[in-house]
Amino acid sequence: MIKLERVNKSFQNGKPAVSDVSFEVNTGETLVLLGTSGSGKTTTLRMINRLIAPDSGKIYVNGEAVTTQETTALRRNIGYVLQDNGLFPHYTVAENIGIVPGLLKWDKKRIEERTRALMEKLHLPAAEYYDAYPQQLSGGQQQRVGLARALAADPPVLLMDEPFGALDPVTRASVRKEFRSLDEISNKTVIMVTHDVQEAFQLGDRICLMDKGTIQQTGTPAELLFSPANEFVINFFQEQRLLLELNAVRLSAICTLLPTDHVVEKASPILPEDASCWDALEQMTTLAVPVYYSFDDKLIRIDSAALMQAFTQYKQTISSNGRSTRLS
Amino acid sequence: MEDQPGFPEFVQQQAGKLLEQTLQHIGLTFISLLIAVVIGVPLGILITRRKKLAGSILGIAGVLQTIPSIALLGFMIPLLGIGAKPAIVALFLYALLPIIRNTYTGILQVDPTVIDAATGMGMSQRQLLLKVQLPLAMPVILAGIRTATVINVGVATLAAYIAAGGLGEFIFGGIALNNTNMILAGAIPAALLAILFDAGVARLQKLRMRSVKTALYILPFLLLILSSFYLIPAAYGSSLVAGFTPEFMGRKDGNLGLKQVYGLNMRTVVISDMIMYKAAYEKTLDVISGSSTDGRVKAFDLQVLEDDKHIFPPYYAAPIVRQATLDKYPELAPALNKLSGIINDSVMTELNYRVDHLKQDPALVAGDFLKAKGLLQPARKGAKGTVVIGAKIFGDGYILANMYKLLVNGYTDLEAVTKTGLGGTKICFDALTNGQIDLYPEYTGTGLLVILQADKSVIDTLIADKQKVYDYVSEAFMQQYQIRWLPPIGFNNTYALMMRKQQATELHITSISDLKEYLQHH
Repeated sequence: MIKLERVNKSFQNGKPAVSDVSFEVNTGETLVLLGTSGSGKTTTLRMINRLIAPDSGKIYVNGEAVTTQETTALRRNIGYVLQDNGLFPHYTVAENIGIVPGLLKWDKKRIEERTRALMEKLHLPAAEYYDAYPQQLSGGQQQRVGLARALAADPPVLLMDEPFGALDPVTRASVRKEFRSLDEISNKTVIMVTHDVQEAFQLGDRICLMDKGTIQQTGTPAELLFSPANEFVINFFQEQRLLLELNAVRLSAICTLLPTDHVVEKASPILPEDASCWDALEQMTTLAVPVYYSFDDKLIRIDSAALMQAFTQYKQTISSNGRSTRLS
Repeated sequence: MEDQPGFPEFVQQQAGKLLEQTLQHIGLTFISLLIAVVIGVPLGILITRRKKLAGSILGIAGVLQTIPSIALLGFMIPLLGIGAKPAIVALFLYALLPIIRNTYTGILQVDPTVIDAATGMGMSQRQLLLKVQLPLAMPVILAGIRTATVINVGVATLAAYIAAGGLGEFIFGGIALNNTNMILAGAIPAALLAILFDAGVARLQKLRMRSVKTALYILPFLLLILSSFYLIPAAYGSSLVAGFTPEFMGRKDGNLGLKQVYGLNMRTVVISDMIMYKAAYEKTLDVISGSSTDGRVKAFDLQVLEDDKHIFPPYYAAPIVRQATLDKYPELAPALNKLSGIINDSVMTELNYRVDHLKQDPALVAGDFLKAKGLLQPARKGAKGTVVIGAKIFGDGYILANMYKLLVNGYTDLEAVTKTGLGGTKICFDALTNGQIDLYPEYTGTGLLVILQADKSVIDTLIADKQKVYDYVSEAFMQQYQIRWLPPIGFNNTYALMMRKQQATELHITSISDLKEYLQHH
């Protein structure tokens, strides 16, 4: 659990970097700090593990103010992933992953077991990479090692500063996917910084959109899209609005609007429960077959026309319902 | 003079000495390097944290680096005397800049993301330094140590000037004696050491990261072991310490003669004659190879030991003049001879003392002396002709040339001109034979050994008798060069062993044989 209360920070020249920022992130939740460069998102992140000291305001990690904890102990309890991975070039992959457990004085056997387990989970075969040096790895592999390193001591909190920013689009998509499916993060409080809107929508349970050091809006992806707090929020997503909306709206939200005359007994492929409209469209267009979705113990066949109709209807409903309605 | 043996024979003969000097050289290099690493690396680390200090500390180290090495050694002597201490300090100061600078830049160039990651993961300052910054800066720091090592191997040759030993002893001895083999015997090992250590540290730089960690632990021990080489040669030796000039060390009428004729074996360091007397006075040295009429003998209250077995050839000073000039101006010889037999050793020492130590003008000293002897006459300002009087760059020459000038001006109608500072014997003598000068004061021993380069058999029959030497050179010079030796002035400026007067009296030593006796029993 992380909580920020009215946090302020100015640059050395007196210009505010972060003004009056407050938010709360619960255990198991991922909050994405989204914004352009200079919006104060990285500064906000670095204040949580005290790499930067705030001028005013309070920051709590797991219910305790960060200033009352010993800095090194605090940081060892917070996983930290950087954009340029920051791996130690003079340490092997295994040594890199074992840094924090080592600082926490785990015994050697435990560190090795943990390292091997994490490497398997992140698709880094230990046989091949355990004793390799970071420079022998590809960018995607390095970033996975960086992630493994942050997770090594199983910290309750994970801070990620543009973790996939330095990767090419293809690698980024695959590493992102892996990250999303990682069971390790399901019980953690995660805060991630990015300027990539799609990434924010894909990974964030909630998104905190920042501009010029202040929070413009904090909410779920759908809230940001369908009930924007101000002009800035509307304009920020304008360019990719349709794509984002299709991504933000889950089938579970519109299934009541889907025609129910296509109930079948047995079929494939069946979309996962949390699939979005976008996922459904993607499946249909790539496989060129109808897709199925399980709802109310019934399997419904969905075709593109029906889907788009339901989606349109849904949008109209929520616009007329007013902006503050909680969605998805 | 004797034929020089070939280089391999020379090395074989001097193997013991060569090994000792090499060990000393390695020791000097690495003691200073060790201190420079111990002080330079932490300083480099400090200035990465206190950036305000960086400018001034790097500036000071940079200025130290620009001081010429021989001058730096010179500065050290008043502070630390002679021997290993000032040499090590000077070498240390030279090694400092590359080590501080490379530590500083090495640490600053560590990827900031890595530092950020390390800090963010909860490393303390100390862990950050030891686990991240130093290992990653190590190749750059090692490059600095490598530079410092090579500088030190080179500069350490100069340590021989201040009695700190090392391969410089051979190099400077060889230069003084014009002995190529000796120069090479010092220069080649010194160059090899530089190449060897350079390659060694370069290898260390290229080691894989994991091995670097091991190397980090080994390095200090290695430095310590290499440093201790310096102490090995010093572990044996006699109760009294002698300091000889590089030239004296290699001369037959020097240290070699002392060993052969007197059987004198004592712990010996090599030292520049410029600081030798003072070192004896300050009790750093007990016995030195001085020049018997040097002003500093008086200044530092030293006593010349009697050469009772006559190994030092007589170096009686006398004016040597072109016969052509004497024929042209017959009145010249009587004027010059006024000085004959007037100046004995102690008088010459006194005169040198006034010039060298009291810094009086040689012309003034010459004038005062002639006045006291009743020999000074006002210049006649004659215009019959010009006589050019030469003098070597050192010691007695200046004063004698000035005396002759006054005598020629006062007793003849000739006009005397002095041309002093003519480098060494060879330059002076060439100027005389070429007619660029008409006369200069020379020593009988130099005439015999350096100019005539008489056969060994001839030298052996003459050397103990000052009259025989004078007769031989007079005759030979006239025959070969048409140059006349006028009667000797009286003093004998020869090599001499000398000790502090007080110590000599306490130990009842008045001659070299006494010294040998004493050393045998102590």
